[in-house]
Amino acid sequence: MNNLRLYLLRRLALLLFVTAAVLTILFVMFKLLPGNPLSVFIDSNFSEEMIRRQKQLWGLDDPLWLQYVRYMWNMLTFNFGTSFFQMTPVRDIVVEKLLHTGAMIVPAVVLSVVLGTLLGSWLGWRRGSRQEGAVVIGLLALRSVPSFFVGIIVLMVFSYNLGWFPPGGMVSIGGHGDSFLGTILSLDFLYHLVLPCLVLMTREITSPALLLRSTMLEVKGSDFLDILRAKGLPERRIVMHATRNALLPLVTDVAVMMGFLFQGQVLLEIIFAWPGVGRELVTALNDLDYPVAQACFFVMALIILMFNFVADVLYAFIDPRVALS
Amino acid sequence: MGVLELRDLCIEYSLGNGAALAVDKVSLAIGEGEYLGLVGESGCGKSTIAKAILGILPRNGRVVSGEILYRGRDIVGLSVAEMNRLRWQAIALIPQSAMNGFDPVYTVEQQIAEAIDAHVDWPVARKRERIDEMFALVGLERSRLTDYPHQFSGGMRQRAMIAMAMVLDPDVVVADEPTTGLDVIVQDQILHRIKQIHTSLKKTMLLITHDMAVVAENCDRIAVMYAGKLVEHGAHDVFERPFHPYTMGLCNAFPDLADVGRALVSIPMAPPPLDAMPPGCRFAERCPFATDLCRSEEPELSSVGEGHAAACHYIARAEEFRERARLYETWQAGAVAT
Amino acid sequence: MTPAHTVAERGGTGRRGVLGTIGHTLRVIMRYPTGAFGLFLLALVVIVALIGPLISPYGPFDVVQTAQGRIARLVPPSSVALLGTTNQGNDVLSQLLYGTRVALMVGVISAIGSVVLGTLIGLVSGYFGGKVDEAIMRFTDVAFGIPFLPFALIVISVAGPSLPLVILLVTLFLWRTTSRVIRAQVLTLKTRPFVWAARAAGASEWRILFVHIAPNVLPLSFLYMAIGVQGGVMLEAALSFLGFGDPNVVSWGSMLNQSFRAGAMRSAWWWVIPPGVALSLFVISVFMVTRAYEELLNPRLRET
Repeated sequence: MNNLRLYLLRRLALLLFVTAAVLTILFVMFKLLPGNPLSVFIDSNFSEEMIRRQKQLWGLDDPLWLQYVRYMWNMLTFNFGTSFFQMTPVRDIVVEKLLHTGAMIVPAVVLSVVLGTLLGSWLGWRRGSRQEGAVVIGLLALRSVPSFFVGIIVLMVFSYNLGWFPPGGMVSIGGHGDSFLGTILSLDFLYHLVLPCLVLMTREITSPALLLRSTMLEVKGSDFLDILRAKGLPERRIVMHATRNALLPLVTDVAVMMGFLFQGQVLLEIIFAWPGVGRELVTALNDLDYPVAQACFFVMALIILMFNFVADVLYAFIDPRVALS
Repeated sequence: MGVLELRDLCIEYSLGNGAALAVDKVSLAIGEGEYLGLVGESGCGKSTIAKAILGILPRNGRVVSGEILYRGRDIVGLSVAEMNRLRWQAIALIPQSAMNGFDPVYTVEQQIAEAIDAHVDWPVARKRERIDEMFALVGLERSRLTDYPHQFSGGMRQRAMIAMAMVLDPDVVVADEPTTGLDVIVQDQILHRIKQIHTSLKKTMLLITHDMAVVAENCDRIAVMYAGKLVEHGAHDVFERPFHPYTMGLCNAFPDLADVGRALVSIPMAPPPLDAMPPGCRFAERCPFATDLCRSEEPELSSVGEGHAAACHYIARAEEFRERARLYETWQAGAVAT
Repeated sequence: MTPAHTVAERGGTGRRGVLGTIGHTLRVIMRYPTGAFGLFLLALVVIVALIGPLISPYGPFDVVQTAQGRIARLVPPSSVALLGTTNQGNDVLSQLLYGTRVALMVGVISAIGSVVLGTLIGLVSGYFGGKVDEAIMRFTDVAFGIPFLPFALIVISVAGPSLPLVILLVTLFLWRTTSRVIRAQVLTLKTRPFVWAARAAGASEWRILFVHIAPNVLPLSFLYMAIGVQGGVMLEAALSFLGFGDPNVVSWGSMLNQSFRAGAMRSAWWWVIPPGVALSLFVISVFMVTRAYEELLNPRLRET
């Protein structure tokens, strides 16, 4: 137990260290790279005095270390300031966009994991057969096809040509629900979700399927299953033992996948005009709305780090061997 | 009648292209409180017998004919539920690979308790007490009960396995190569522990091993298998006066303290593959004394003494063979000839 | 001298010489049907990348004109433009051929860069261990904590888009995995007897690292280089598709970006499909070769 606590502490320290480092890199990036963040809205009409006031207002006159400390504090307290263009706190914008992104990713990941697990067990079962080989090659190839091209094709076929599904967006125009929950529970939302979710799944299903296939093979060959049978345990107990062992690596895989998707789905959000955090980042960068861009980047990084952390912690709890080695 | 009896047992593995008879018409009986040692090289079918007794043959293996009688009742082909009632309570197993015999994600105590729960409905306190008792029996500290298997050394894991096997006070214990992968000193301790359990608790036991010396030291009776066949069985005079040349070879493979100067002799070559058995005596190819008769006709087990039988055409010449088998040259010549 | 001898023989490249090893490797890859197919496709891509500008009917930004002398906008595939034209009147086939060179260049340069970087870091980290290793590993952790696509987008939008910058960013993204894998390999290699033998023979640490250990991790580095080509091509396409690629260069990603923005998905399939298919085929061909090479390195893969 002590070992576990030590492991968790170490892992937490690493999380804080990496978060601070990523934030520092972000800070340096914006400071070192050419271009004045204020140049977006400061134009030749501004007088010297006005420019100075603006600089003061945004704290750009302070010594660098003070700017750094203030920036770190603001970021870590999720105080991202105000958008240059939308007169709302950046935090509100980012939270909303994150929810939208999650609304696309979570169903896709859940479905991918469930179906991928089933497919993977089947593959492990049919191991060595002709179908198994074909499916595995297919999965591997699927994994290497750029999913944004799959998205474009799917959109061309099912939306533009067949007209079965809407060409993008999260809800119909003017069809905004009153709350986020109301929106994602509406049929209209599900209708919009189908295509992006399918495209995400074509890629995300490959990794649980391939992973489960190999762990299933490994677990099926382990001696302890024989012993469990010899002990006279009922079949369902034995299956429970096998499943728990086979699912161990999947837990990590799913958590890492979730974290990664929060930044990896930028392209799909663009293609499907999905108002998520990735699309917001691209928009903000095109508009040179730096506070928003900064916040989007930070939350994406933070989500990756959090999910990796969760993966490691979960793994330590379900597999006692981890924390001790 | 024996507690556990095999009658003309045949076990087959279906392979990709055909089938292999791993156990061929083996008949054996273990009497009440007896400690039987089943010896043979790896792949001779001895572990298959252990698995068949517990009904845990791999998916491609099955008993094709013959009977396994437990206290007079054939247990081949019992339903899973019926078999589960016998497992662990009537017949328990000390497995070959204690290393991987425990599920890595549960504590040792949980896994022992699981074996109890599958068969009897004991209150928690009684379970705890029994598990403690078992840990004491095998010499493990009770504080280690909540450890995970990987926190145990190999020897400790095997002792925990023994504790788990004994927890329901089974009628028969099958120990399948219980010391594989352990270092020599630990092997000795484990075997000693099993022997102790046998003598103090008067357990009926079957020890499966490839090591003749282990059987000689521990068991009351011995059965020797070669390539799926029983070739010789009997009490201690199997070591003193072996009748089958294979047994003679095995006896040569362990050092004889009385005869220090003699070179250790081992049997050259490997047993024939299970799916390509020669027509005659299966040992003929490696036997230094084989004749044309041996190569064409399979010998039957025949009695050579009180409770002692061997399957060799030349049991009459056993005396002469025994002398020659002690010589290194005898076995070498055989190898060169073929 | 004897130890050095042993090591040379243990080395992955052995005594066959560099060219011989490459030839041997290719022959083995050809034995897998998928590997052979991948190699064939890959060879096609390389040839097109080399001679593309020679065989392409127009320049990438040339405006195709109709017989009447008007700009041929969004013309479907025809004898004038085999794969049709864009809304600017550019020839899709020519852009596709020019784009091949960009894809291959980004893929190969960033793969080589990242593998050199990753291998060096992995070698030093794994071999010297201790504080050096600790520092490098934490650095790698930080690198893994940076979401690549958002990071690249921000850097490009602040520093301005250009092909070298894209290559640099892709390189910075790809080295991480290589260095971890190489490090793990070095950790097992350095306990092997031949390393002790070399040390006993008086070889310096750096000599052991580069003469004795490095040759043994090279096959793995090559594997990651191949995987890197795949990643590099994909990432360049992704950045260009988002409109963050070099505006002066035509790449498959930028073609997709232009066609997407022009709404060609609705009206001009010939502008959308070719770059996407080219990209997918390239990536899959690299993947197939990689897979065959991986099996060659690790025969156990076939079993599991």
